[in-house]
Amino acid sequence: MSSDPFSLDNELARLLGNDRAPELSAGFADRVVAATQGRAAPLPRALRTSGWRRIGRRLVVGVVAAGALGSAAAATGLLDNLPIGIPTPREMWTSISGDKADPAPSLPARTTTADIVPQTSGPVKIEGTIDTPEELEEAFRRIDQMRAGRRDTRREAVDRRIDNTIDRRRAQGLPAPTPEEEALLRSRIEQARNRRDERVEAVTAERREILREEIENGGELTRETLIRLQRGVQTGTPAADRLERLRQLPPDQRRALIRQWRERQQGRLDRSRADPAMQTKPETTPGGPEDEIDLSDPGHP
Amino acid sequence: MMTAGQTTIGGVQDAAVRCGDTASDDAALAARIADREEAAFRHVIDAHARILHRIAYRMLGDAHDAEDIAQEAMLRLWDHAPRLCATGGAIRLGPWLKRVTVNLAIDRLRLAKRLSGDEVPDRADDGPLADACIEASQENRMARALIAALPDRQRAAIVLTYYEELPNAEAAGIMDMNIKAFESLLHRAKAALRKAFEACDLKVGGAV
Repeated sequence: MSSDPFSLDNELARLLGNDRAPELSAGFADRVVAATQGRAAPLPRALRTSGWRRIGRRLVVGVVAAGALGSAAAATGLLDNLPIGIPTPREMWTSISGDKADPAPSLPARTTTADIVPQTSGPVKIEGTIDTPEELEEAFRRIDQMRAGRRDTRREAVDRRIDNTIDRRRAQGLPAPTPEEEALLRSRIEQARNRRDERVEAVTAERREILREEIENGGELTRETLIRLQRGVQTGTPAADRLERLRQLPPDQRRALIRQWRERQQGRLDRSRADPAMQTKPETTPGGPEDEIDLSDPGHP
Repeated sequence: MMTAGQTTIGGVQDAAVRCGDTASDDAALAARIADREEAAFRHVIDAHARILHRIAYRMLGDAHDAEDIAQEAMLRLWDHAPRLCATGGAIRLGPWLKRVTVNLAIDRLRLAKRLSGDEVPDRADDGPLADACIEASQENRMARALIAALPDRQRAAIVLTYYEELPNAEAAGIMDMNIKAFESLLHRAKAALRKAFEACDLKVGGAV
């Protein structure tokens, strides 16, 4: 009997009470017992953890994974290659407190292409083909900026390679150049660089004069034509012809040839390791995709 | 309201109720069933099968389906007896079996609604009920129509507390609800039942 009052109207209660449930059919127990024969065992209960525990575990895994990725990125120097300014603790404190702290001596900023190339475009915009002297000079300006950036990058790489080689030889107890010999080596390299720059400047100036005349005579230059002329293809030299043929190849073949060229260069480097001066020779790279200059984007030539 | 001393509406006083099954008895029975002792299983069937069958019948309105549900509930006990014993807590076979029966009956109702394409009602539907009342020539069929018009859980609450006269607390435990929520559900069920009964009464009276 229920201990809780369950009140219904008399009529309703009488109506519901008239509904009689049938009896179980005979032999019900026998049928149930018979059904237990050969009945498969129930599946084990699924392992369940509470929702908060599951969420907490995911949070911990996420934090650990993020930390591991960040540590790996920092350890491999990836963060240095990204245009992300990571503030020092001192800078963070200054930004929080608002104090004007003394500028801390900092390492010279890494020179990147973005630093070399001005972010603001010049007054001249190159739209379509180059058909005015202003557009041509703007193209020359962007090319010069890109060349300066690449030249600095190459020179940094060569200097770093010399330093590494000297350090390695000293660490292995091998004969290494004395400071005087090293200074002499570097001065010779610098002289060679200057001579090369002068030679390139002279050739470039000559080619640019030709281009200026062409524009003044009403001609037009496309991006491809300009790059080809800058590379001296029209001079008919074997090197220029090779570059042009390389450029005409499908990307896969072009990449394969460039890789083979680099492997040959590396082989030459390995063979000439005994002579430190020889290691500074290969400053040039084959003309390829990296020499392509995008004239349509002033901020990213 | 049913008064003390009245027989249950089902007309059968359960053996389990008569002997006042205790947790210790149920634990012993469960242990014997876990050992696959047929006599113990038959004892539980004799004690509980009728009330399970009644609950299922009130919920589903079909004697054969109700017998299937009662049988399945008993077989669930057979399957889960080892696990019940392993829990180590107090075992009450009656409430456990009733909970299984109510859940199986609700599952059967929902499956039937899905198969028929009808939407699950969240309240009593007066229209079909009125039609059913007109068609019901017998009072028990009218009663069946009234109960059948209730949503599943309201129907279970009425069956457990009115027909089986279980205390609200026990019925709430069977339906896995706290007592407040169950009383709220029961209140809604009664209101829906009265409303449907009044609509039915008016319809029948108007027809007469």
